[in-house]
Amino acid sequence: MVETEFLVEMRQVSKRFPGVLANDRVDLALRPGEIHVLLGENGSGKSTLMNILAGLYRPDEGEIYVGGRQVSLRSPRDAIEAGIGMVHQHFKLVDIFTVAENVILGDRNIPFFPNRRRIERHIAGLSERYGLRVDPQVRVWQLSVGERQRVEILKMLYRGCRVLILDEPTAVLTPGEARELFRNLREMADRGQAVVVITHKLQEVMEIADRVTVLRRGRAVAMLERGDFTARDLAWLMVGRDVVFQVKKPPSERGEIVLELRDVHALSDFGRPGLRGVSLTVHAGEILGVAGVAGNGQRELAEVVTGLRPVRAGSIHLAGCNITNVGVRRVIDYGVGYIPEDRLGAGLVPGLGTVDNLILKDYRRPEFRRGPFLDRRRSRERALERVKRFDVRLSDLEAPVKLLSGGNLQRLLLAREISANPSLIVAVYPVRGLDVGATEDVHRMLLEQRSAGTAILLISEDLDEIFKLSDRIAVLFEGAVTGLLSVDWTDPEKIGLLMMGERPAEEAVP
Amino acid sequence: MCRLSKRAVFLITLLLAATFIIVGCGGGDAVTEHKSEENVKVGFVYIGSPGDAGWTYAHDQGRLYLEANLPYVVTETVENVSDADAEWVLTQLAERGNHVIFATSFGFMDPVINVAEKYPNVIFMHCSGYRTADNATNYFGRIYQPRYLSGIVAGMTTESNLIGYVAAYPIPEVIRGINAFTLGVRSVNPEAKVRVVWTHTWYDPAKEKDAAEALLDAGADVIAQHQDTPGPQQAAQEKGVYSIGYNSDMSTMAPQAVLTSVVWNWGPYYVRTVEAVRNGTWDNAPYWGSMADGIVDLAPFGPMVSDEIKEKVAREKERLLSGEWDVFYGPIYDQNGELKVAEGEALTDAEMLEMSWFVQGVEGTIPN
Amino acid sequence: MSGLRPVAFPWRLERSLVPSPAMSVLVPVCSVVLALLAGAVFLAFTGRDPWFLYGEMFSGVFGTRYGLFETVVKAIPLMIAGLGVGLAFRMRLWNIGGEGQLYMGACAATWVALTFPDQPAWFLLPGMFAAAAVGGGVWGLLPAIPRAYLGVNEIITTLMLNYVAILWVDYLVYGPWRDPAGFNFPLTARFSPEAILPTLGDSRIHAGLLVGLTLALILYVVLYRTRWGYEIRVVGDSPGAARYAGINIGRNILLVMLASGVICGLAGMVEVSGLAHRLQPGFSPGYGYTAIIIAWLARLNPLTVILVAFLFGGLQVGGYIVQTNGVPATMVAMLQGLVLFFVLAGEVLLKYRFRRVRDPRAEVKKRDR
Repeated sequence: MVETEFLVEMRQVSKRFPGVLANDRVDLALRPGEIHVLLGENGSGKSTLMNILAGLYRPDEGEIYVGGRQVSLRSPRDAIEAGIGMVHQHFKLVDIFTVAENVILGDRNIPFFPNRRRIERHIAGLSERYGLRVDPQVRVWQLSVGERQRVEILKMLYRGCRVLILDEPTAVLTPGEARELFRNLREMADRGQAVVVITHKLQEVMEIADRVTVLRRGRAVAMLERGDFTARDLAWLMVGRDVVFQVKKPPSERGEIVLELRDVHALSDFGRPGLRGVSLTVHAGEILGVAGVAGNGQRELAEVVTGLRPVRAGSIHLAGCNITNVGVRRVIDYGVGYIPEDRLGAGLVPGLGTVDNLILKDYRRPEFRRGPFLDRRRSRERALERVKRFDVRLSDLEAPVKLLSGGNLQRLLLAREISANPSLIVAVYPVRGLDVGATEDVHRMLLEQRSAGTAILLISEDLDEIFKLSDRIAVLFEGAVTGLLSVDWTDPEKIGLLMMGERPAEEAVP
Repeated sequence: MCRLSKRAVFLITLLLAATFIIVGCGGGDAVTEHKSEENVKVGFVYIGSPGDAGWTYAHDQGRLYLEANLPYVVTETVENVSDADAEWVLTQLAERGNHVIFATSFGFMDPVINVAEKYPNVIFMHCSGYRTADNATNYFGRIYQPRYLSGIVAGMTTESNLIGYVAAYPIPEVIRGINAFTLGVRSVNPEAKVRVVWTHTWYDPAKEKDAAEALLDAGADVIAQHQDTPGPQQAAQEKGVYSIGYNSDMSTMAPQAVLTSVVWNWGPYYVRTVEAVRNGTWDNAPYWGSMADGIVDLAPFGPMVSDEIKEKVAREKERLLSGEWDVFYGPIYDQNGELKVAEGEALTDAEMLEMSWFVQGVEGTIPN
Repeated sequence: MSGLRPVAFPWRLERSLVPSPAMSVLVPVCSVVLALLAGAVFLAFTGRDPWFLYGEMFSGVFGTRYGLFETVVKAIPLMIAGLGVGLAFRMRLWNIGGEGQLYMGACAATWVALTFPDQPAWFLLPGMFAAAAVGGGVWGLLPAIPRAYLGVNEIITTLMLNYVAILWVDYLVYGPWRDPAGFNFPLTARFSPEAILPTLGDSRIHAGLLVGLTLALILYVVLYRTRWGYEIRVVGDSPGAARYAGINIGRNILLVMLASGVICGLAGMVEVSGLAHRLQPGFSPGYGYTAIIIAWLARLNPLTVILVAFLFGGLQVGGYIVQTNGVPATMVAMLQGLVLFFVLAGEVLLKYRFRRVRDPRAEVKKRDR
């Protein structure tokens, strides 16, 4: 047995999902008494990695050691027995139970008739020790979000977890609650626990991290100790610091304004302000790149433009027509193509075949109609042609598309969206999870559309991609556009600062 | 989708092929092989299981009696037959060469008549219904007569003067029983009341027990019942009070509680019917047997029943057996105190069969 | 510390995305065979000859005209109700209310038959079908409205409405609809011959079979060939994609639950008009519930529903045949349960495959080299 200073070690852990390599040979070691931040964009594999450690997923490759011994964590219960507990973004509490009942829920060591008094005393003791203020006798539905989070943490401490993982804990908290949480976490670390915080917010890292591991596209690209990093370093690591490769974009004629947002406000899923007065324009034949750390309004921006999310104030215009809150169907009919963030969850219907997926937006059009029927021969013929033209590699036009690789899925999605001849394409993280070849294909297709005079709104966290494709760059920070710059007049450094909410000297926008 | 329909076609073909192969090999002889010249084959179709200790148990006792007394009889039974399945089960029993088929649930009535039409050489006996055909009739017993006697026992036993009655469905058969019972109670104890609870189930021991418990909580100290299970008896025994059993002698289920039981005694009738069929003397006249025929009776009394009660019941039984008097002889008043049957008059069979009102002394309503 | 086992077991059960076509035929067939074998062991233990009993069962179900016909008769309501609830399941609407919709359909059809006893068949039968469609449809639509607009869980509402429908029919047959010539028994009057579905010769197979087969065909075409069916499949497979494509989910919830209720209502209609010839309590021994199993076993494919309904019909008929050979009803129910259990287990197995995983220690060595 090897002597170890680590509570938990993950070695060369890999995890694949259909079409995506979520974790690629990741190493991670946790020391007692540290707050270890896992930093990365959405989809960089942070949550997957921690779900593996919490026993929810099983790694395809790699090993996990707890206290120097190799373990196999087959379930969250295994993980808890090994001393590892995770607080998820969505709490797993029973509203009508009391705090104490929630804390002991699922604990196998509780006798059939639990001694309520003793358990409540135990919980009160724990909450006192770590400063997690919450009354064990109160029912959960009476608690605020911050208090519920404390219950989740208490649940793990009660089970004796020495490693506590929190998945984006501040996403649902007010700034005051977040500060209190950080104090509590520090208290726990000081008492010898290892605390892992998953986040993509740089200022949080600066505030609490003893060590930070940065994940990008499923790989751990850096592990740094406190004092060895600045916010700027982290931003670089997170979005990719490879030398920006300036492809020669063909020059393009910037045309009329196609999309215009005027002071648009919208709510996020949590009912918080998601967009706060966004104004921007996209011209024909232009790619407007929207940079920013995920969670700063990207999703909301894409969804208001495509009609999926209601606009609370302001207006959206497409080629002069007001398309504010007209509904998805009308927006599609106006000629807006949309490559959503979630390929299989939104852009494509996983259980249906290629033919059916290619008519997802056209099936109502007269050319596919024969009375109430779908013209199957026509849709099949067209599917064949599209598949060939866009080089989607598949064996069976009728087989469910969920069997396709990520690259082929994206090619299929682009095939549908591009061949509808849109005047505007909204593309969100279009190459996430794709390999180099597929990435090149997608980029090439977007540039071709640009040359053909389509307006493109490209939302990405990857600065390489933004700089490679965009004509202009807008930076989203906390739901507002903090900068709008021409790509020729700026550099990734400036954008990186804007992404972190720092405002450099105002640049002129041509 | 093309794949799916091909698979479907394949499966259909497979199924059809299998069918024809089996039909080709084995058709026909299964139907006749059990037939034998000397034997009389008798089929029984039950709504429940003989293990219910109630209705079906009583019929199955009759079947066993039939087998024991007529050596040439061979019987077949099918249990747990739903109304929707009855027609097919009857057909199957007819196809298997049964000569007489007893169908022992009211819901089997239409199926019996339908199948009888297709098998004119088989005799169909339907219990508790009212339709007939050339080769089918219905049979039942005047269970209200022993119910009246059991009412006397209950009326003389009660101290709280509240008697509970757990009843299945508000159909004439059940209403008649409640009325007869109540007339018995009031003949010896005009102060006593009979409170009725409807369970809307024939066979749900837990629910029936619950209903009995509700009556006990209301102060009843004797529980009578019209169900297919002994649930109410168990409730009474647990409370330490008395009950009147139904269908079969329930003293074995609740020995401390059962005063007596109102019982069916189908065996002798089944023997007579099968003999008549064999001798060619059977006819399709409906049968509504009385206590004098022995098809219904009172089970032996429990040890707690006093001699005084026994003597009173014996005298009344004598009167019933003599035929000079029956339960629904006037004067009889309904719940509102209106005279329904005048002194010197009596209800006809038809009036009894359609009964949909309660006599004086019943607490409860007939929903409709 | 049961969680701290080292990895050693070299096989892993994991989800496979699509079963191969061969497997999806083979597995159910093998399941039935295995169930019968397991049942045979059990029968042998109780001193019965399983092979004789199975022989009787098969020759009874398939080898006699009336056995075969009865299988069809039993399959009719199961088939139609299976198609009805299956349509809702397609859109991930858990319509547990097939039974109630069936009762309401039967109830509405009975109303027509009792109200217009003197009308000719060309009026009565279409009228009864239409009434059944309305009755069942309304019963399907009722829970769909709160579901579509407020997100109220339809499992509970549809289930609850079953009790309402059954009690409603009870009320009618014990009260206002009681046959005046029926000695106060809880039955409606018999339908006039004009209100009875035609049968195949003198058998009990009635025109409901045609209704079922036609419906299956129509549903298949609707689902796979029409624009509406396309929307149903998209919503059912991925509500996110449906929203993305601008499909009106709420409207489809209403339409699909309506159609589902209509179909289940027709099942009730053919049962009273084709078989019972009157309305009486308990005319359906839970067809609406069995239909749920049938729809899933058929993988929600309308054409496969027909086959599975026949399997269930055969299982029922076979059960009674085994009973007449002296096997008690409880054991028959157990045998039927075995078949279901094995088929369902086979279905689950179909979704998984075994995969050999590399020995992690061997892996380490290889890397060291």
